[in-house]
Amino acid sequence: MPPASLLELEDIHVSGRGAPRLQGVSLRLRAGERVALLGPSGAGKSTLLAVANGLLVPDRGQVLWQGAPRARSGRARRRQQARIGTLWQDLRLIEELSVQQNLNAGRLGQWGWPRALLNLLLPLESGACAATLRRLDLDPALLDQPVAALSGGQRQRVALGRLLRQEPALLLADEPLASLDPRLAGELLGLLLEEGRAPRALLLSLHRPDLLSGFDRVVALRRGGVQFDLPVAAVEPGLLAELYAGAAA
Amino acid sequence: MSAGSALADPSWPSPGRWRPAAPLWLLLPALVLLPLLALLPGLSHGGGWSLVGRFALAALRPSLDPLVLASVLRGLGVTVGLALLGWAVSLALGLALGVLSARVVWGGSRSGGGGAWPAELIRKLLALPRSIHELLWGLLLLQLVGLQPAVAVLAIAIPFAALVARVVSDQLDALPTGRLEALRAAGVAAPAALLTALGPPLLPQVLSYGGYRLECALRSATLLGVFGLGGLGTELRLTLQSLAFEELWTGLWALLAAMLLLERLVGWLRRRWTMPARFGLGSDTGSTGTDRANNGGPARGRSSDVGRRGRELLLAAALLLPVLVVVAWALQVDPGSLLRWQPLPPLPPADWAAVAALPWPTLVGNTLVLTLLAAALAVGTAPLLLLLVRPWPWGQGLVQVLWALGRLWPPPLIALLLLLVLRPGVVTGALALGLHNLGVLGRLLLESAEHSGETREQALLGAGCGPRLALLYGRFSGLARPYLAYGAYRADVILRESVVVGLVGATGLGSQLLEALSAFAYDQLAALMLVYAALTLLGEELSDRLRRRLLSS
Repeated sequence: MPPASLLELEDIHVSGRGAPRLQGVSLRLRAGERVALLGPSGAGKSTLLAVANGLLVPDRGQVLWQGAPRARSGRARRRQQARIGTLWQDLRLIEELSVQQNLNAGRLGQWGWPRALLNLLLPLESGACAATLRRLDLDPALLDQPVAALSGGQRQRVALGRLLRQEPALLLADEPLASLDPRLAGELLGLLLEEGRAPRALLLSLHRPDLLSGFDRVVALRRGGVQFDLPVAAVEPGLLAELYAGAAA
Repeated sequence: MSAGSALADPSWPSPGRWRPAAPLWLLLPALVLLPLLALLPGLSHGGGWSLVGRFALAALRPSLDPLVLASVLRGLGVTVGLALLGWAVSLALGLALGVLSARVVWGGSRSGGGGAWPAELIRKLLALPRSIHELLWGLLLLQLVGLQPAVAVLAIAIPFAALVARVVSDQLDALPTGRLEALRAAGVAAPAALLTALGPPLLPQVLSYGGYRLECALRSATLLGVFGLGGLGTELRLTLQSLAFEELWTGLWALLAAMLLLERLVGWLRRRWTMPARFGLGSDTGSTGTDRANNGGPARGRSSDVGRRGRELLLAAALLLPVLVVVAWALQVDPGSLLRWQPLPPLPPADWAAVAALPWPTLVGNTLVLTLLAAALAVGTAPLLLLLVRPWPWGQGLVQVLWALGRLWPPPLIALLLLLVLRPGVVTGALALGLHNLGVLGRLLLESAEHSGETREQALLGAGCGPRLALLYGRFSGLARPYLAYGAYRADVILRESVVVGLVGATGLGSQLLEALSAFAYDQLAALMLVYAALTLLGEELSDRLRRRLLSS
């Protein structure tokens, strides 16, 4: 029996100025799958990720989370959102707060007001935060540092740490490697592939066909539609050339 | 679940790390609401609630009587005209004085010294007009020259010019001098070098501040009217005191429309001419912390915009001049009338013993308590209200209307309204000033929140965080420092303003001043004004230090 599907997108349409941003996209993600999202700029990768993490409601089509339609509002929706974690290209760390407070920001979906306020006053759940940092090869002594004082690579890891503190079932990442040097990009991708293993799933958009080897599947978008959806082994150079052909036009 | 409870955590917490983080700072001033709420029941005098109900209901059915409408429009025209004239005079005067009181203009170094003593002298001289509220100037001038339209214009222009001068000279002295030195070294004459090197980076700041001062001028002109200096304010006070709430609301809605129109216009021009937002006055900290190199050259518009802005500015100035002349003519503002002093009543010999016998510690103490209460109320309530209404789409619109009414209402009118249900005193005065300034601060906070931290808030929402917490963590974190810095500036304004709620009695120096003014007790008046000015200057210094500390790092 195949693993249960975490996220299902059915016939998703999102309109845009001029051309539609997504048209008729269907995609199913199962637990344990690590999927790379490829496509030229403007193909709709970021829009697809925004629909997947729930920040964008499609004009048409259905989004199912663990087999049930997305809750429309309120607590149920927030609970679902909390199960889907996103690593943003610009990280979106809260510069004014410490590393620990940023890590704990991943828990805000579960926490009520008292703890959320206490997090701004005291170091909360230091043990769990230190463990998260160690898992990401960071020194737990960084916990009380302001994130603004960290290096680029450290910030990437703290953002990933916040994501892990959220304990999501599905990891989304929107071109997380775009602005990193090759060494940092390799390290971060390794971490993401590691964390995206079963029972989680990973959907990551990237621009680097040379980095596909660790993924299970490749979904290619072009002009808002799915060009192909294949296991990594079946992705041939010809397909990639076709995907990016005339992309600049 | 790896997230154990905080108490089960072995390393919880090490004492050296007890420090509230940025978003909490924003909520701390709201703690003042607790004692205020505790005090209010004791201050209520029981009666008047039915009047408050009538007042609130009247908002929905303002009088549309043609006579009332005509008089409201006439009053509004006078108020707007006086504001415009006072503002224009203050801007011209302030720019000139600002340039003259900049150290860099006299060739001095930024930290003073050099040959910059004239700048220092002018700065010191300007402290006095700046420290005295326009209402006091108005009432003093009224006694000297009688009821003239020019009195209100000058009353606004005197303190505003000194405030503009201070901002202009501070900005000038904060600009990098490299360009100026390069031009001077190349043999360019001083005036041309100053204009070329310092003019362009100064312009957006001055325009932005000038726009803000125009909004202030409208509020001040209304306030002066409340004290009988003409315009809509007079009618607002009369209708409130005669409990003609329907007619009162006709005036209020008209004033609201004028104020919102003006704010929109200023905001539009600010965006069109790429001026810095008010909030980040003198700083770039309103952004989300993404590091932008800002070398003191705030305008980063495209080069094609720069020429356009210059042309449009010239055009606007060319249009403004005839408008000012027409307004002055229509309002019969005669500058010459300011020179014809009316005979003063025979002054009794000064009674310094009576002056010394004034309860100074209480007067000063009450003034400070009033200021701090009002400032904390205004600074603390704005973020709290925004957090409260965040989940509801209509909530933000509602607080915006309430805030607009708050800044529209001159504080003495709010105080009079509060007197319907509360006893006079410091707390009532503080409430009136606090509510008025809440309207000013709230609008700024909301505008800044809209332009800062959006992606961070989205990220938190995407992670299942509730809308209030997402606002607190995502947007308020970056706003805490600039907002509190602005709050410090506002506290300084409130201290100056505390005189205007003097009419609700027992509010410290303010009420004593108004009493001395109406009793022609010039000895007391002089002493009170001196103490008041000293207090204001001290407050200004403290607020400046606090602001610099908040904005540095």
